Amino acid sequence: MTKVVEISPTTRLEGHSKLTLKVDDQGIVERGDWLSITPVRGIEKLAIGKTMEQVPKIASRVCGICPIAHTLASTEAMEASIGCEIPTDAKLLRVILHAANRLHSIALHNILILPDFYIPGTETKFNPFANEQPARSVMARIVRIREIGQTIGAIAGGEAIHPSNPRIGGMYHNVSPRAKQKMADLAKEGLVLAHEQMEFMLEVIRNMQNREFVEVAGKQIPLPKTLGYHNQGVMATSPMYGSSSLDEKPTWDFARWKETRPWDWYMGEVTIDLEDPSYPLGGTTKIGTKANPQMEACTGVPTYDGQPVEVGPRARLSSFKNFDEKGTFAQHIARQMEYPDCCYTILKCLDNLNTSGKVLADHIPLGDGSMGWAANEAPRGTNVHLARVKDGKVLWYEMLVPTTWNFPTCSRALTGAPWQIAEMVVRGYDPCVSCATHMIVVNEEEKIVAQKLMQW
Amino acid sequence: METLYSEIVVAGCGNPLYADDGLGPAVVERLKDLELPENVTVVDAGLGGPHFIFTLLNPKSTKTLIIVDIADFGGEPGELRWLTVDELPVGSYRDAHSWDLTEPLQYIKDDIRIRVLACQKKYVSAPDMVIGITDEVQKAIPGAVSEILKEIGMKYETA
Repeated sequence: MTKVVEISPTTRLEGHSKLTLKVDDQGIVERGDWLSITPVRGIEKLAIGKTMEQVPKIASRVCGICPIAHTLASTEAMEASIGCEIPTDAKLLRVILHAANRLHSIALHNILILPDFYIPGTETKFNPFANEQPARSVMARIVRIREIGQTIGAIAGGEAIHPSNPRIGGMYHNVSPRAKQKMADLAKEGLVLAHEQMEFMLEVIRNMQNREFVEVAGKQIPLPKTLGYHNQGVMATSPMYGSSSLDEKPTWDFARWKETRPWDWYMGEVTIDLEDPSYPLGGTTKIGTKANPQMEACTGVPTYDGQPVEVGPRARLSSFKNFDEKGTFAQHIARQMEYPDCCYTILKCLDNLNTSGKVLADHIPLGDGSMGWAANEAPRGTNVHLARVKDGKVLWYEMLVPTTWNFPTCSRALTGAPWQIAEMVVRGYDPCVSCATHMIVVNEEEKIVAQKLMQW
Repeated sequence: METLYSEIVVAGCGNPLYADDGLGPAVVERLKDLELPENVTVVDAGLGGPHFIFTLLNPKSTKTLIIVDIADFGGEPGELRWLTVDELPVGSYRDAHSWDLTEPLQYIKDDIRIRVLACQKKYVSAPDMVIGITDEVQKAIPGAVSEILKEIGMKYETA
């Protein structure tokens, strides 16, 4: 008989989300819903009427983890709307900033997922905070990779957390030859560490993939080989940076995107009738509690070609590098494989960077209200910002962030997993829930917006 | 290993989209307009403090961490007060994404001197987004700047 169990809130990810799961007698998920319960904040509404310089600053405050991805996507959406091409050296600095951000983000995610994994050859789960080896040297390497990523980001982007250097039309400043050299030295050191860390993580993940069982709260839970498999497609715009509507051949298609409402996708009201007080961090939701994912979900459901899609490292690697593995472990493997690419990208950009080149466009138009979009391949996946700018003011703004794309896809990927390891499936997406939580477009409004956009 | 970080790190925490919560970044903005000694790094930590600040510190090179943020210590709106880590109640100093900042601060307080400059809030709009710091808290900004300058050992006359 189907029972309903709920894990709320989920842990070791960014933001507040929960899992409402219908499970069979063996505890295998028949139908799962993963949804954001972070309060809706309405950044898109706040942006209307602000200047095109202000909005990227506002967008960068949506979340504490992703300021760099949002600053870049938002700035470039404005540039796409006003039709402003930026100088090559400005673009190179942005790519360096972007790659450095991804480098430290992968390392951060390593800390979040390692407690799910075993130290290869042992029955001991990895505790990043343990005083013994291998934890100490792995953590020291992770911290150094993050330091390197943040320092390169601070040099190219002006600041380590909220980048101050990007602006509409390019960048405020180029870097000095000495700063360029420092970034190159750090990227070379980072490359060695990134390779080591990738090799380590791949061993840990492959070891886990070969296991039959994992321990959760003292119980042995079977580990399916198809953990996290789903039949939704993948979406990626570039292996590293992204695309925009200014590109000669854009790799994202506005016409294929449609936002639908959560009640088309999530389950209706259910009553919790399965409970496990021993589940880590305070047990699952109490029996008798009502849950209503349709009404509680705080995100819209974006679709591409009429279906939710997966975005992120696995989507990038399967779109551009013939990576053909599926499921949760494939997502982890793909993410580690992006480690060295970040450093190679930084080094390649530095090779081409002219420190005396100009970094600001000669002419920055004020915009005529045309729709422009920019897609940025953030650590967690495709981050699309769309804007209409007229006379320097933002008329319309929309953010389609990676985790919003992944919410409905991941919900489908939960089917077939024992409920006790459902959170492992969620963590495979490296979710950032706060970013994903926006205004829900109501039907009437949506129609009007869609019709108007068709004419532009 | 080459150390990347300076002796004194000043971190302005908070989110300008939540009204008075924007104080930290606003103080940082003022500090950046000033010429500061080379051993000082001023960083707009935004709401990413717990995730990002700790990789900006290195016990080998960092001696002092100064945090600027709003707080609710029952004072008059705009009142400034220096707090120690032990005065921060555990769990009350959470960022929007539930990564506790107090616990990691407790871990490092023996290696790095931590000073917290708290300003009594008047209005924090979270979860709604409101841009703009209230007048009372706005008026505290010059005071906060000079407090920090004193703390880092600079005599800087503010008008």
